[in-house]
Amino acid sequence: MTLARSEYRTIVVGAGIVGLFTAYHLARAGAGPILVVDRGFLSNGGSGRNGGGVRQQWETRSTIRLAREAVADYRRFSSEFGYNIWFRQGGYLFLADSPTELARLARVHAVVRAEGLPSELLDADAVGARLDGLAPGAVLGGSYLRSDGTLYPFPAVWGVYEAARRLGVEVALGVDCRGVTVRDGRVAGVATSAGTVATGTLVNAAGGWSGDLSRSAGLDVPNVASRHEILATEPTKPFLDPMVVRASDGLYFSQTMRGELVGGLTVPHPPGTARGVPSSPRFLTAMAGALVGLWPRLGALGVLRAWTGFYDDTPDGLPIVGADPRLAGFVHANGFGGHGFMLAPAATRRVAAAVLGERVDLDPAEFSPGRFVGRTTPTTVERLQLG
Amino acid sequence: MLDVLFPSGIDTLHGFRRPRFLTGLYQRVVRRLSGYSALPDAGAARCLAAPATRWTGPTVVVGAGRAGRAAVRRLVAAGERPLVLDRALRVPEVPGADLLPGSTATFLPPPSGDPDRPFTLLGYSEPARGFAVRARRVVVATGGYDAGLLFGGNDRPGVVTAEGAFALTPTPGAGPLRRAVVIGGGDRAAAAIDRLHESVVAVVAPGEIRPEVVRRASELGVPLFPRTLVRSVVGRRRVRGLRLESRGGGASFSVDGDSVVLAHRRLPHAQLFFQAGARMGWRAGTGAYYPEVSDAGATSVPGLYAAGTGAGVVPDDAEASGERAAAAALAAPIDGPPPRWIPRDGPSEMEGYYRELLAGPRPGRWVACPCEDVLLGEIEEAHRAGYRGIEVVKRYTGVGTGLCQGRYCLPDTLLLLARLEQRSPPEVGYITQRPPVHPTPLAALAALRDEFPAEATP
Repeated sequence: MTLARSEYRTIVVGAGIVGLFTAYHLARAGAGPILVVDRGFLSNGGSGRNGGGVRQQWETRSTIRLAREAVADYRRFSSEFGYNIWFRQGGYLFLADSPTELARLARVHAVVRAEGLPSELLDADAVGARLDGLAPGAVLGGSYLRSDGTLYPFPAVWGVYEAARRLGVEVALGVDCRGVTVRDGRVAGVATSAGTVATGTLVNAAGGWSGDLSRSAGLDVPNVASRHEILATEPTKPFLDPMVVRASDGLYFSQTMRGELVGGLTVPHPPGTARGVPSSPRFLTAMAGALVGLWPRLGALGVLRAWTGFYDDTPDGLPIVGADPRLAGFVHANGFGGHGFMLAPAATRRVAAAVLGERVDLDPAEFSPGRFVGRTTPTTVERLQLG
Repeated sequence: MLDVLFPSGIDTLHGFRRPRFLTGLYQRVVRRLSGYSALPDAGAARCLAAPATRWTGPTVVVGAGRAGRAAVRRLVAAGERPLVLDRALRVPEVPGADLLPGSTATFLPPPSGDPDRPFTLLGYSEPARGFAVRARRVVVATGGYDAGLLFGGNDRPGVVTAEGAFALTPTPGAGPLRRAVVIGGGDRAAAAIDRLHESVVAVVAPGEIRPEVVRRASELGVPLFPRTLVRSVVGRRRVRGLRLESRGGGASFSVDGDSVVLAHRRLPHAQLFFQAGARMGWRAGTGAYYPEVSDAGATSVPGLYAAGTGAGVVPDDAEASGERAAAAALAAPIDGPPPRWIPRDGPSEMEGYYRELLAGPRPGRWVACPCEDVLLGEIEEAHRAGYRGIEVVKRYTGVGTGLCQGRYCLPDTLLLLARLEQRSPPEVGYITQRPPVHPTPLAALAALRDEFPAEATP
């Protein structure tokens, strides 16, 4: 593979939804030439491995605002990008299985309402009316927001990929980024498996690999790659409208447009677990136990396949978006912690703004790369994490 | 009707995208059409809440076919009592072994660090009784399956694999297939003729026809068509015949028949080897991946052995390979000549076959992936759009993501992409084999949850 040029205005590392949307926004602003490199194939990373959930129910107001903007983007997506991404607003139904969880949902509900979104608190009967035949006593109550939804991730990637390419973005797949060249305290280029290229700006959108990339440029970042597993069942006729989630154990599941039940559960893996490790019996059996324990009628559904992916976690559960104050020309678009797909269209507008040197309308205490520098306790924490 | 409205299928690549209000309406329609059947009600699911089976022992043999049985005989002779798993509901006794019939071994993760019981096998017995097996050694003799074939109308009722035809024909000559056209010229075609007997009306082979097939067909007075392209099915609603064409630009003609029996290509059930992390190698002769094995059947994973068709052994040598695998597992002396292997190199006859076939006309619907209703044209469309490699084309078109996990459709898709991308099939790649091998009821897996406690976090 050879690259078209030896110098680009911006190089984006990672051709996932975050990297591609960043390149797309930059190209729309006329800020070319732009190169996106990815060591794998399209949808090889988290963008092709996630459950497709898009929610606006969060503990932090800033995340709610970003998610709300992303929902509006995804509503327009199919007609704008020419791919049916099957964004279906069936809602997100949070379940509480303890008084503590119930109290947490009430807190989240208050924040979401304050942001002007009509979320509803449900008692156990109202949850039961939406999910017929739940195990007795499994649920104490829940919260529901109708405008949350799910989408089919692959076509969203194809859509942005093709749109970015139409705008002149060069996407080099199967090209490994091997290091960042720094000269006079700023980014000067990138060494790739297809040769060294010069650039003034590098965007780190490498998902589960972004911590490694930042550290290879000498930046001390707190990103941790964590392994998560997910499964899909054989397709059936529609029986489930919302994405159902339970924050206490990170259980989530929804029914796709193809009719499959797709979902995951938090199963702790030792940090630093080798990438490429296949699915585990522990996940398959624990996930099945959680699903059948909650909703016995799912027992007859056959599991079709299970797979793994990586979250790019940060200590405060918030993404890292913006220019790194320690290295000029190094821009972060990472740390999405499993929420890259749901926040991508909105968050990457801010990444593009950071690349172009424009004002970024995000609270620096929450999203900026600088928030971890010389500080041990985060000011804001987003605890509503699933999977 | 749907074929008329949506000639290229209903998926993310086709159908309405604009205007926006129509996409919402379209979604509602699509959702009603999706899925194979309704979710069983709560009562049916409750019946499945059976306790799990657990077994621990030195050796497990997966598959009670000829190779598996031969392995068991050798193990029993050495004083072991192995466990034998087989998918069939009725399996003849296996003397000296514990037998779990109706059992599907569906997940064989890479061996753990436990030196006494490094292997864990997950599966279920019909209908939904989960089992977990821990063992020191595993002999995998999962056999093979009949591949699909691309031609116009290949999803019409009446097109079946040899295995399907055997299931429909419990005794030779009986069953619903009255006028069957058998596709293939090797062992499998011979077996199909033996079973279907007087119901066979023609034998059509992509390549040459072997003498044992010629002999059987002549005894029955059945016409033979070697080196013949299968162009399409005759008949709109079901099979009434086949349109054929002699290879090398020969004449077009038709044969009558009420069914098409695919017996041209037998491929290995190799998923358990992939899952266990065994090193796999491409064999062009059949166009499939097999585990890399020693002459005795030892794979690259210590303690994991392969025997029979699944290991790439020529069918006649299945028993010898089973015995050798068991002997190797027992670290006992190995006797007899090594089994004959399916050739590693030498072009597959199917590569040239498809090159010739696809250069010609394509009447009817050519279904590349029946589970997900992906058409041949959609795979070519993905190629035209610039998508390369099987992993990407799988995600783009959905080929190989259905119930069979790609067993049926991917071998041909691989040949097709190799032709389009002008590189060899192994360069086109292969999809990650994801567990389980067969759809496994959640109830069966749920009953095993206490078997696998959380990994210790340091």
